[in-house]
Amino acid sequence: MSHKNKMKRSEARVGEEECRSSGPSRWSHSRKRGVDGSLRNNSDEDGDDWCRHASFTTPESSGPVSRCSRPTDWGSQVEDEEMRRDMHKDMQRYRRRILGPEVTQRERRASSGSSGSCDSREGENMETDESVLLRRQKQISYGKNTLAYDRYIKEVPKHLRQPGIHPKTPNKFRKYSRRSWDQQVKLWKVKLHAWDPPSLSSQKTTPNSNSSQELDPCEELDFGDVMDIELDFPTLSHSEHPPTAHWVHASSVTDQDYLGTPVKVQRTESPGGPDMV
Amino acid sequence: MENSTDDYKIQSFDLETQTLLKTALKDPSSVNLEKVSNVIVEQSLKDCVFSKEAGRICYTIVQAEAKQSSGNVFRRLLLNRLQQEFKVREETRTRSLQEWVCYVTFICNIFDYLKVNDMPMVALVQPVYDCLTRLARPDALTNEEEVDCLVLQLHRIGEQLEKMNIQRMDELFFLLRDGFLLQEGLASMTRLLLLEILEFRAGGWMLNSTAHKYYYSELAE
Repeated sequence: MSHKNKMKRSEARVGEEECRSSGPSRWSHSRKRGVDGSLRNNSDEDGDDWCRHASFTTPESSGPVSRCSRPTDWGSQVEDEEMRRDMHKDMQRYRRRILGPEVTQRERRASSGSSGSCDSREGENMETDESVLLRRQKQISYGKNTLAYDRYIKEVPKHLRQPGIHPKTPNKFRKYSRRSWDQQVKLWKVKLHAWDPPSLSSQKTTPNSNSSQELDPCEELDFGDVMDIELDFPTLSHSEHPPTAHWVHASSVTDQDYLGTPVKVQRTESPGGPDMV
Repeated sequence: MENSTDDYKIQSFDLETQTLLKTALKDPSSVNLEKVSNVIVEQSLKDCVFSKEAGRICYTIVQAEAKQSSGNVFRRLLLNRLQQEFKVREETRTRSLQEWVCYVTFICNIFDYLKVNDMPMVALVQPVYDCLTRLARPDALTNEEEVDCLVLQLHRIGEQLEKMNIQRMDELFFLLRDGFLLQEGLASMTRLLLLEILEFRAGGWMLNSTAHKYYYSELAE
């Protein structure tokens, strides 16, 4: 009689382990919360208890449905349900906003000015497929569930954010190809990395740079290069195919040299600012 | 108003636990929410008075956490703990009828209090039906404790449950009619309760005044 229950429990365990074998992603170290919801402290940043939320699609995965798309635990089921309902509310709000006469005008002007690819009516350009929207929302939540994101929104108030310089959350309601969307998310997260907590990165990469926050990063940077790259980034919301070569370069720069220092903010405030055009 | 912790019926806990719960109500991020959810579930399984109102304290903690950090850690922990207990419900029932009845009371109370965008949580609909259907089986109908619990839950959440899945409610009521009509050896109190709940649902989840008088006048006098 108790055998049945034991069986069930061990089956559930197997599911967990499958997830775990995917291992910690490189984003996991700055994650605010683990999947069990408990706050991560610095000591378990290795992520030995890390198991990706069963309902998360890997951002890089190619299929629209992940292996474990239907979570079996009630907690996740309710979260999915909540997400789905929020999504519908969100969608209605967005639709009202873009179909409102003024806003449509403004958006039309903005888009024709830049790339010209989005000049059709926003209403027709809207992604309405629920599974796509949910997948995108998960990717966004994934990026937002980081210490870096918290630091970013705290340090750079909305009105100071500049397109192309500051990370901008991709617009999940626009129609994009799968590849384009994934690339936008990737770029967004790379940019967010600039706001990773300094302590973590200094421990790992440069042990001596405890004072890196006080140091003026300008001294160590070749400014022009980075600025070029930054400015070459098309505005995320309009870019169909961001230049890969630049991305590679930028990411290596961001990861190795500036990790942990919010260089972008400081740069915009720097007195010289000759490259700001 | 928020200070009247009597509302949450936590006096039966030891002092340390009371402090834990009081803190969880005000500042959920500062406490170990897993401990909090375990304390609440375990107490609910022991204490039927508590399990009838435990949804309220859970609701408040969920709200507080959502407001504080837009998190839902507590809800997740609570639901998953509830699910663990659900998996072993038949064992629980064999071991202790009281604990089983407390469990059903608790899960129904959670269903009643915790909502997602003002709607019942879909994830709990089938489990709640499973529990109530279990209570309507012939062996359970011979236990007054279980019948009491069944009709009480149906009074409280029957209408919401029916909206979520009318077919399962129909099936449940087939069992109840069968029990009322065909099952031998039922206590007359049990038949009374069954008849009342049959009328209650038939009247659109309320009793008209004559029926009410019939079932409750004795109590009032």
